[in-house]
Amino acid sequence: MSALVLALLLQAHPAPAATPAASQMQPVEAPAAGATAQAHSPAPEGHTPADGGEPDHGAAGPGDVLMHHVQDGPFLGIFPSKHMVFLLLVAVMVIVVAQLGVRSYRGGRIPRGLGAAVESLVLFIRDEIAEPNIGHGDGRKFTPLLCSFFFFILVAALVGLLPFSATSTGNIAVTLALATVSFAAQQWAGISKYGIMGHFYNLVPPGLPLWLLPIMIPLEILSMFTKPFALTVRLFANMLAGHMVITTLLLLIALMGQMSWFAGAAMAPISIVLAVFIMLLEVLVAFIQAYIFTLLTAIFIGMYAHPAH
Amino acid sequence: MDPKGLAYFAAGIGAGLAIVGGAAGIGRLAAAALEGIARQPNAVADIRGAMIVAAGLIEGATFFALIVTMVLAFK
Repeated sequence: MSALVLALLLQAHPAPAATPAASQMQPVEAPAAGATAQAHSPAPEGHTPADGGEPDHGAAGPGDVLMHHVQDGPFLGIFPSKHMVFLLLVAVMVIVVAQLGVRSYRGGRIPRGLGAAVESLVLFIRDEIAEPNIGHGDGRKFTPLLCSFFFFILVAALVGLLPFSATSTGNIAVTLALATVSFAAQQWAGISKYGIMGHFYNLVPPGLPLWLLPIMIPLEILSMFTKPFALTVRLFANMLAGHMVITTLLLLIALMGQMSWFAGAAMAPISIVLAVFIMLLEVLVAFIQAYIFTLLTAIFIGMYAHPAH
Repeated sequence: MDPKGLAYFAAGIGAGLAIVGGAAGIGRLAAAALEGIARQPNAVADIRGAMIVAAGLIEGATFFALIVTMVLAFK
């Protein structure tokens, strides 16, 4: 991201000088103007507004830079998908950190350092998220799954804040996969406890008037699928929105710089301060979204595991 | 009229309307939560948890609208 914005800035700044020169030369030496334009264009990644200051509504505008920043793409020339690379990286990181955390328990020792840090989060998930919402006993069974959700989403969001990285949960396919696992866990919670017929029988609250059934049954089946869909879009949009806001704030420098050199220079400190603020907010959002996804999954599992109320 | 211009226009208005709805929801939620905490200071932890969940739901609904405006603006 920062590389892109830098490239944009470099494009924007020569613009006031280059454009009048080009327009003066145009009647006489069109090839020269073309050469300067060519000299500008092979900037990194090819996603820069064409030819500096010209009001170009063609291929590369601010919207394209924004989309390029959040969309999936090739990585380092060898990997076809940047999000996939960082998804696997985050998965490996979570596994390694969990193993290192578990290791400090070996031999009945009291955990220190990393083990204690991981333990505090795991205990929070078990005692504050799983047990109150799924119920005692059932909550313990689903704690490993909820921990996986929590740590994966948290680490993915935090890794996505590093320069030159990508947030894999900012890809709707990834969040859809997470929500599918959550959906399977919700259905499994009901089916394993009451059997497959009992599970569907439980969807409708007992003691309902018979004439309400034609309304309630489609509604409940619909709500079965809207829950994971809401989880999908919530996480995806949250991860996307923060990055888009940061990019937009930094793009403001380039957009102002296209108007005049001074406007760009004046915008820079404001944009950078605001972007740093949003960046810090993103750290908070990483924790909150991991918590919300885990908590909502636990609540939905609890709804199917204890359907009476 | 230029269809692209109309799309930008619609995206801008849509983003504004989405934020109006989201802000109204979050504002009412925060007001109610603060009132609840003022009346019952012992229940801060429970109220905070419930508030975060409700805020997440409101935020999710707002993001549905925002994604539609993003599609309008960038596609």
